[in-house]
Amino acid sequence: MLKCRPSAPWTGQIIVTEEEPTGKSSVFPRYCCKCFAMWFSLYYGGCEVGTDSWSQCNDTPVKFARFPVTGLIEGRSYIFRVRAVNKNGIGLPSRVSEPVAALDPAEKARLKIVLIKGAASKSTQAFSEEGHYLYYPEGIIPGPPTDLSVTEATRSYVVLSWKPPGQRGHEGILYFVEKCDAGTENWQRVNTELPVKSPRFALFDLAEGKSYRFRVRCSNSAGVGEPSEATEVTVVGDKLDIPKSPGK
Amino acid sequence: PLKCAPKTFWVNEGKHAKFRCYVMGKPEPEIEWHWEGRPLLSDRRRLMYRDRDGGFVLKVLYCQAKDRGLYVCAARNSAGQTLSAVQLHVKEPRLRFT
Repeated sequence: MLKCRPSAPWTGQIIVTEEEPTGKSSVFPRYCCKCFAMWFSLYYGGCEVGTDSWSQCNDTPVKFARFPVTGLIEGRSYIFRVRAVNKNGIGLPSRVSEPVAALDPAEKARLKIVLIKGAASKSTQAFSEEGHYLYYPEGIIPGPPTDLSVTEATRSYVVLSWKPPGQRGHEGILYFVEKCDAGTENWQRVNTELPVKSPRFALFDLAEGKSYRFRVRCSNSAGVGEPSEATEVTVVGDKLDIPKSPGK
Repeated sequence: PLKCAPKTFWVNEGKHAKFRCYVMGKPEPEIEWHWEGRPLLSDRRRLMYRDRDGGFVLKVLYCQAKDRGLYVCAARNSAGQTLSAVQLHVKEPRLRFT
């Protein structure tokens, strides 16, 4: 087997570039994005840093040059861009914003700030609202919940239940439920406001006839864990005859 | 340890200055930014991060006259150390009386 010897560091010449300040960031109750002063109707597109998929945040153009972005996964960083639209069509997207972390301020205060010199692994880095501080969560993030299943599905609601993960800290676990239109990979958090404490959740605002998949993430003060395995596709409106597991 | 005079860059007061330095080495070097001989810590106006292409970036937001000086990117690993430097000047706006 080949062994690589260490090589002394080498640095390229530093390049300095001047940048125009991008203006004030508009802060919203939970999340913020840097916006551009425009008087057109705007389309906001968001993207998770580290992936290359852009998804549109708003269904209809908005006129104000601020827009609260929801449906973000806590702890992940996002970049944003904006497109103007008028009666002739949609213009080219703006330059992308600086990365913004979806962390709420209380959560952020609990995270220990560690300035990482140089080589930080991509998975552990997070960005503050102003820029690029790096955070490492202090505690252990719980693993994914298991045995997620749809226990009821009717025209008006769907009930999910699951089991807590094996790996968890001393503190209580909160759950976040995510849904996804069948056939896509657009996962959206359902309970954006309130995390769930019990391993059961009823979804009421689903469109009849549409089909969805669901998954659940655990969270504690250290952060939000990986998602559980997704459920099979569930059609809203099915009267599901859930078979009782034998022995129950 | 600098062999030749570092390059000089000018930025206008009030603009952001972005310093980018590409570093190689094995094992992966740790880097530190210095300003006027002192290690720089990130704060609200000075951001440090690694960009998508692996370059180390120092961003000084809303440059002021006092931000001028020698900026150094120092890299080290178990096999050695090296550095790269630039001089920053801040162009102050001329006041206009009308």
